Amino acid sequence: MAWVTWRQHRHQLLIGLALIVALALAALVTGLPMQTAYEREALSSCLPPAARSGCDIIVRHFQSEYGGRVDVAGYLILLPALVGMFIGAPLLARELEHGTHRFAWTQSLTRRRWLLSKTLLLALAVTLGAVILSAIVMWWRHPFDGLEGRMSPGGFEIQGVVVPAYALFALSLGVLAGAALRRSLAAMSLTLAVFVAVRLAVAELLRPRYRSPEHETMAGLVPGAHARDWVLSNSLVDAVGRHITSAREDLAILHAQQARIDPQEYLLSLGWRRALSFQPADRFWTFQLIEAGIFVALAAALLAVTVWFVRRSPS
Amino acid sequence: MTAPLVMRGVGKRYRRRWALRDCTLAIPERAIVGLAGANGAGKSTLLGLTVGLLAPTEGSLEVLGRDPRLEPEVLAGVGFVAREAPLYRSFTVGDTIRFARATNPGWDASVAGEFLTRLSAGDRVSALTAGERSRLALAVALGKRPRLVLLDEPFERLDPLAAREFLQLLMDGVSELEATVVIASHVIADIERVSDHIVLLGDGQVRLEGSAEELISTHRLLTGAARPLGRIAGVEEIVRKRSSGRQMTLLVRIDGRVVDPSWSVDEIGLEDLLLAYMAPERLPGPEAPEKGRLRWHG
Repeated sequence: MAWVTWRQHRHQLLIGLALIVALALAALVTGLPMQTAYEREALSSCLPPAARSGCDIIVRHFQSEYGGRVDVAGYLILLPALVGMFIGAPLLARELEHGTHRFAWTQSLTRRRWLLSKTLLLALAVTLGAVILSAIVMWWRHPFDGLEGRMSPGGFEIQGVVVPAYALFALSLGVLAGAALRRSLAAMSLTLAVFVAVRLAVAELLRPRYRSPEHETMAGLVPGAHARDWVLSNSLVDAVGRHITSAREDLAILHAQQARIDPQEYLLSLGWRRALSFQPADRFWTFQLIEAGIFVALAAALLAVTVWFVRRSPS
Repeated sequence: MTAPLVMRGVGKRYRRRWALRDCTLAIPERAIVGLAGANGAGKSTLLGLTVGLLAPTEGSLEVLGRDPRLEPEVLAGVGFVAREAPLYRSFTVGDTIRFARATNPGWDASVAGEFLTRLSAGDRVSALTAGERSRLALAVALGKRPRLVLLDEPFERLDPLAAREFLQLLMDGVSELEATVVIASHVIADIERVSDHIVLLGDGQVRLEGSAEELISTHRLLTGAARPLGRIAGVEEIVRKRSSGRQMTLLVRIDGRVVDPSWSVDEIGLEDLLLAYMAPERLPGPEAPEKGRLRWHG
């Protein structure tokens, strides 16, 4: 089946390979100056919580110089969706569309074995590609991870073990969508929609709760104190810990400005303090493993449903 | 020796419509079976059930002694060419054969090779003529050395010459393999040429089943003066009745000799017999039957 899978999917696999090579080159070209600047300006000595003098200028300069590239790299979250759309969805839909499943499924291999071998071989290739990509991103983003951490969604979702997990989930989802809808285009659209929905739901609803967040209440905002953590909420509370609405905060600041007092001082004098809840940066790998586990489990469940569906559905 | 294909009360329903209903039959071993019927009579459904692409709504079937849905491994012994001979269009002939070898452990290159003599391995499937494509599909179906070969409308897109050539290859192949063959076609002439066993479907039901000789020997055409019909000695059932002017022609199934001198008794050819069964009960517009060979169709 390895040859069959290769013969039927070689275009997708070669395009995938070309994409990885292109991204590796792009990472090299954009990453090397970034690494050089990082070394040259000795940014490692400025990593929070260090407070060497002049660090804020150096850091701000570095961020404004290279921040744009990091934002662009954020689009890498789309790659797993492409795997689902262009490899997963057509896997069955194209056969059903062209009637070739009547050819493929009436050879000696049972269709369960046919489906499993093809999907698992592709899953292997996809995993390999995703791991390589993830490793490239980890090398490339390393200077920024030091400054900003990789716990926030922007850094968390494009590196580590979640990347192959997302890709496997998208692949599985695409295959099932193709089996159910029997049309490539429809299956591709559904795959994209469901993938985005599930990814968002997990990131928004589940990930903040993998471990209970830590809380900290402090007088003022210490710059850089939680730069590398994933700050879930950041709000003002009064002396007894009640939440202060932003409208009240605005009003207080306005009041201070009219009275020509430093607003920060004024808020402190009211006994107001800043309450943070956050996921600390050192939970990165724990969170990575939990999230990857969720998506791999989803992928396996979807594959099981597909096998069941293909076995019993009329053709 | 068991029958390679047995159906017991098999029915298949698509939403509200029954494509096949109450289908009971047993295909004898090594027979060349003509599965006849108009378009939509249920031929493709019957074949789809046999290769496990479809699941029966009711009833049970055995292919080579096993249920193809529960034990899909049995498909190793079944060669199937679906309607329009679906193959991967982007594959070359060589790729297709390699695919067949990879997906069939019992692949026999020498059997398949006989069908590929005039095809070159580098040709793309999408560039083949209908005849070449059918030969390639047949090569894949027979190369797995099946005991049962199922062909769905194999002549549909072939010109008469290609159809004859295809049939010749098929017959040579199956006699070597000692396989049973089921050929589904709505073109009765194609089936009549080669079949020694007939299954006729109409509106999803088996209208007629039996060996060719058996069917011919149990049917007669009676011609005589028009009259109100009662019982005729030796006639089991009047299948079709057709009157033109003062003359009347009956297709009957007999259970003895028809000796009534007021009827002239003729044998009926297989093709005409099948067409008569396929025709609606009452034919529109009476025509005078031809002298000598009586025809039931336009």
